[in-house]
Amino acid sequence: MIVRIWGARGSLSAPGPATVGYGGNTSCVEVELADGTTLILDAGSGIRELGQRLLQRDRGVVHICLTHLHLDHVEGLGFFAPLWQAGWKLHFWGPPSTTATLRARVSRYLSPPLFPMGLSEAPAEVVFDDVPREPWRIGSALVEAQTVEHRGPTLGYRIEEEGRVFAYLPDHEPYLTAALDDQPEWISGWRLAAGADLLFHDSQYTDEEYAGRLGWGHSSVCHAAAFARAAGVRQLALFHHDPMRSDRELESLYDQVAESLRDEQEPPLIARERSELELGADW
Amino acid sequence: MERKQPDLVLIVARSFATKLATPTLIIDARGDLVYFNDAAAEVLGRSYLDIGTLPASRWQDLFQPRTIDEEPLSPEQTPGGIALRERRPVHGSFAFSDLGGREREITVTAFPLYSRPDEVVGVMSIFWELPAAP
Repeated sequence: MIVRIWGARGSLSAPGPATVGYGGNTSCVEVELADGTTLILDAGSGIRELGQRLLQRDRGVVHICLTHLHLDHVEGLGFFAPLWQAGWKLHFWGPPSTTATLRARVSRYLSPPLFPMGLSEAPAEVVFDDVPREPWRIGSALVEAQTVEHRGPTLGYRIEEEGRVFAYLPDHEPYLTAALDDQPEWISGWRLAAGADLLFHDSQYTDEEYAGRLGWGHSSVCHAAAFARAAGVRQLALFHHDPMRSDRELESLYDQVAESLRDEQEPPLIARERSELELGADW
Repeated sequence: MERKQPDLVLIVARSFATKLATPTLIIDARGDLVYFNDAAAEVLGRSYLDIGTLPASRWQDLFQPRTIDEEPLSPEQTPGGIALRERRPVHGSFAFSDLGGREREITVTAFPLYSRPDEVVGVMSIFWELPAAP
C-alpha cells in the first residue's frame, strides 16, 4: 500500500511561511491499495487537493473512513471535487452514535447555514455506514476500526495488506486511560497499533502544553512515543501538528521523541504534507 | 502478537476507578473480576496487583459472598452479577470474608456498562462498608 499525506495539521488549517515545510492542511491521508482501491482517512482541508488529483483518473468508488466528525476532519468535504460529479460513488465509514445516523451528522456541516449546498444536492452517489464491529474488507485490505479515547465518538483505524500494517490514530489521548507503561491491553488504541509497521499518531502538544490541556483529547509528542513503544510499532510518524507549531518548532521536538524510542524501532518521522510512504516488501 | 483488548468503555471505567477514593470494582461481560481500585483493596484485603484478574468462580472461592443472614451467594446473585445478567442497576448489601479472614458487610451500587445500546461490556460496582453491629 502507498500512504500519501494531504494534510497533517490538527484543529485548524495553518497556511503561511512558517508551516510551508510540513504543510498547513488539516487531516487527510490517502491509502492506495495494491488492487488500486482508494481509501481516504479523514476529510480535512487536505482532501481538496486530493480530489483534484482523483479527477485525473476514471470515475469509480472511493472509500472515506472518518475517525470522527470534528470540523478539522470533515471541513474539506464540500470542496472534494468527486462529490460534485456524477459517476463517482463515495462510501463513507464512520463512528456509530446513539443519537443520529452518520449521514445526518455529516449533513449538519454540509447544509446551510454552515455550507451553501446540501448533501442531497451532490451528483455523486453517497453511501454512509457505521464501521462494523469486526474487521472488514475494503478492496485488497483488511480494515479494523475501534473506538479510542478522544472527545466524543472517535475511531482509530488499522489497515492490513500483504503482511504490512498501517495504523492511524490522529486524535487520541491514551494517557488518560492508563499509565503508558501499564498492561498494554488497558491502553486505549493498543489493539489497533500493536505490531504496526507504521503508525500515524496524534502528537499535538509539548509536555508543557499538555499539562494545561489534560482531557482535551490529544497527546504530547512524548506520549505518542510512549504509546508507539508500548504497542511495539516499527515506525512512528508524528501527526496532527498543532496549528501554532512552526516547521522549526516541529523539528526541535523531533530529538525528544527519537531519544525515547526503543532500539528496534525505526527513527520517527514528522508527517509532511505531500509526502508518500510505500509499505511494500522493502519497508 | 495477540491483540485481544477490552472495549474502550471498560478501559475508561477502569481509568475512572483508579482515580476514585470510593471502593470500586469492575467485572467484564463474562463476570470475571478485571479490576478493583486501591480503596477497594483496603476492604478486600489485598491489592489488585497482588491478585490480578479473577474468573467469577475463583473470586467466589476467595471471598465466599453470602447474604447478611449468612446464606451463600453465587457471583450471579451479588448486585454486580444481577446487574450483568439483567442489564439494570442494582443496589444491595451482602457479607463476605476478606483475604485476611475478617468478616465484612458492604452495601453495593452496581450498574451495567453499555458500549452500544445493545451491548453490555461489564459492570461497575461501587461499595461502602457497613458499620459493624454494636
